[in-house]
Amino acid sequence: MQLSLKQIIPTPLRERINAYNSGIWKQSLNFFKGERIFLQAPSGTGKTTLVHILYGLRTDFEGMVYWDAYKLPGSGVEDLSKLRAMYVSVIFQDLRLFPELTAWENLEIKRQLTGTVSEADMEGWMARLGIKDKSDSPARTLSYGEQQRVAIIRALLQPFEWLLMDEPFSHLDHANIEKAAALINEVVQHNGAGMIMADLDDNDHFPYTRKIWL
Amino acid sequence: MAVKQRHLKKLLRKLLLSSKGNSRLWAALLALCIGTTLLLLSVMIWWNFQQLLEGKADNDSLGSTFMTISKKVTDENMAQPKTTLFTPGEIDAVKNAPQVRDVGALTSNRFPVYATLNASFGFATEMFLEAVPDRFMDKKPEDWYWQPSSMQVPIIISSDFLNLYNYGFALSKGLPQLSENSIQSLAFELKVGAGENTATYRAHVAGFSDRITSVLVPQAFIDYCNKAYANQESAPPSRLIVRVADPSDKAFIQYLQANNYTTNSEQLRWNRLRGVVEIVSSATGLLALLLLGIGALVFILFIELTIARAQHSLSLLLQLGYSPRYLGRFMMQHFFPLLLLTAAVSMAIATLVQSACADWIKQMHLTLPEYPGWPIWAALAISMLILLVLVSRSIVMAIRRTAR
Repeated sequence: MQLSLKQIIPTPLRERINAYNSGIWKQSLNFFKGERIFLQAPSGTGKTTLVHILYGLRTDFEGMVYWDAYKLPGSGVEDLSKLRAMYVSVIFQDLRLFPELTAWENLEIKRQLTGTVSEADMEGWMARLGIKDKSDSPARTLSYGEQQRVAIIRALLQPFEWLLMDEPFSHLDHANIEKAAALINEVVQHNGAGMIMADLDDNDHFPYTRKIWL
Repeated sequence: MAVKQRHLKKLLRKLLLSSKGNSRLWAALLALCIGTTLLLLSVMIWWNFQQLLEGKADNDSLGSTFMTISKKVTDENMAQPKTTLFTPGEIDAVKNAPQVRDVGALTSNRFPVYATLNASFGFATEMFLEAVPDRFMDKKPEDWYWQPSSMQVPIIISSDFLNLYNYGFALSKGLPQLSENSIQSLAFELKVGAGENTATYRAHVAGFSDRITSVLVPQAFIDYCNKAYANQESAPPSRLIVRVADPSDKAFIQYLQANNYTTNSEQLRWNRLRGVVEIVSSATGLLALLLLGIGALVFILFIELTIARAQHSLSLLLQLGYSPRYLGRFMMQHFFPLLLLTAAVSMAIATLVQSACADWIKQMHLTLPEYPGWPIWAALAISMLILLVLVSRSIVMAIRRTAR
């Protein structure tokens, strides 16, 4: 699945964008299947806005986003659901877990949607990221770092051709970042998928094919 | 797979269906249940009344659907007997009158008839005979046929005649009262025709009619004798017997009055009763619709409140890739059985009421069906269909609002 951006300008950021040369805003870009894109995005440049635009959560922008035949804006709610369930996965900066569900239930509800990952694999991944013992704890009682690891695993529990990540490791220590990055890399490779990693500072968590300033 | 589905449903229930405010749900369901029941009852009142009017054999003593009509004998037409006969055109007009389903002519004898009751009694009288098509008879004896070679003629007399004799005549004259069986065992002779051209037949009473006030013989006998002894191929009838779908219908009564036809006016008493039944039925129906409306409103508001309360979870589920259609179906699967339960309870009550009514009305020698008929099922189906459409629409709209 190819991602094409055509002259995107988020309405709230229009004035600020006009003041500098962005590698994304107002550009026409194509991202090809399997690419690993790093977006370096200092605070206030619209990193989260971009992720939300790409994921179809925002429509307050000019220009068009194409995920192959799916276009944004312009796709119906059912199409959007299919895009999100089958082709594009996301790790939100604000994690977005169900606070009343346990860590395990938060993952299970995503896993059940498509059933592409086995329960054993899911629990194996929880063990790899060190949150297996938190299975039965409600998400609201987990630390932010633990919640972040739940959110990372959740994003991998579906088929996807692109993985969007918005500061996915902001609350993890080096050891945990390494484990998480290794797991993500493994699954992305297994899926033959591409990734878009947006973060504040330059890093080499993944073997990027392109680095772009937002 | 089924186990997994169950597990997923459990998680979705936890997220989307909080148990708070359930008393409102039960109140809505109660209103819906009472509303549906009243609706069914109002249809049942109307339908049962129709059943009584439709003149199943047992209900016929009400004089409900078969009536004989004739032209009124007035001072003006008294002297001209032909004017009270029905012409073929008039018979066709009656066939097309409102509510009339079938018309038959009462054919009367145009030849003299002389009955002699078993010589030893020494009882003899001139009399008249009539015939109606078999389909208009309430009771048809097994031997009810006649052909020219047969010397035996079966006769049906009105049970009114027997009553007149037993309670009017016999008591005042000190004569014995007669049972139906004793009359049926009497044999008498019918002498038909006049002068040279006569014949004598053996006759017996084969049955009694509640429907037709006359002395009836088989149609074939009258037709044959009219031709043989009165030389009349077909005589215009002076009375018609009609089968009427609803004798209480205003249009039918107006038709009779407009044409100056008379009938047994007692049969028209249904007209007044029908007015009462209509008022009761429509008042119940109105109340039912009101309750159904309120129940549906509260039920839909409850669903919308539930969805609004689960707004956060719902929007996150949509972000995870759950489709509005799937979530809508999940909500419907939760709420539809509740609606179907109210339908089942209402139908059960309606069935009980119907069978109680059928039992009760038996004491009056009338018959109603033991089970509710199709109009009641249709009312249930239509009201449920409307409810389901309204509820699914509100679910879909509420979820779409979140998805946008």
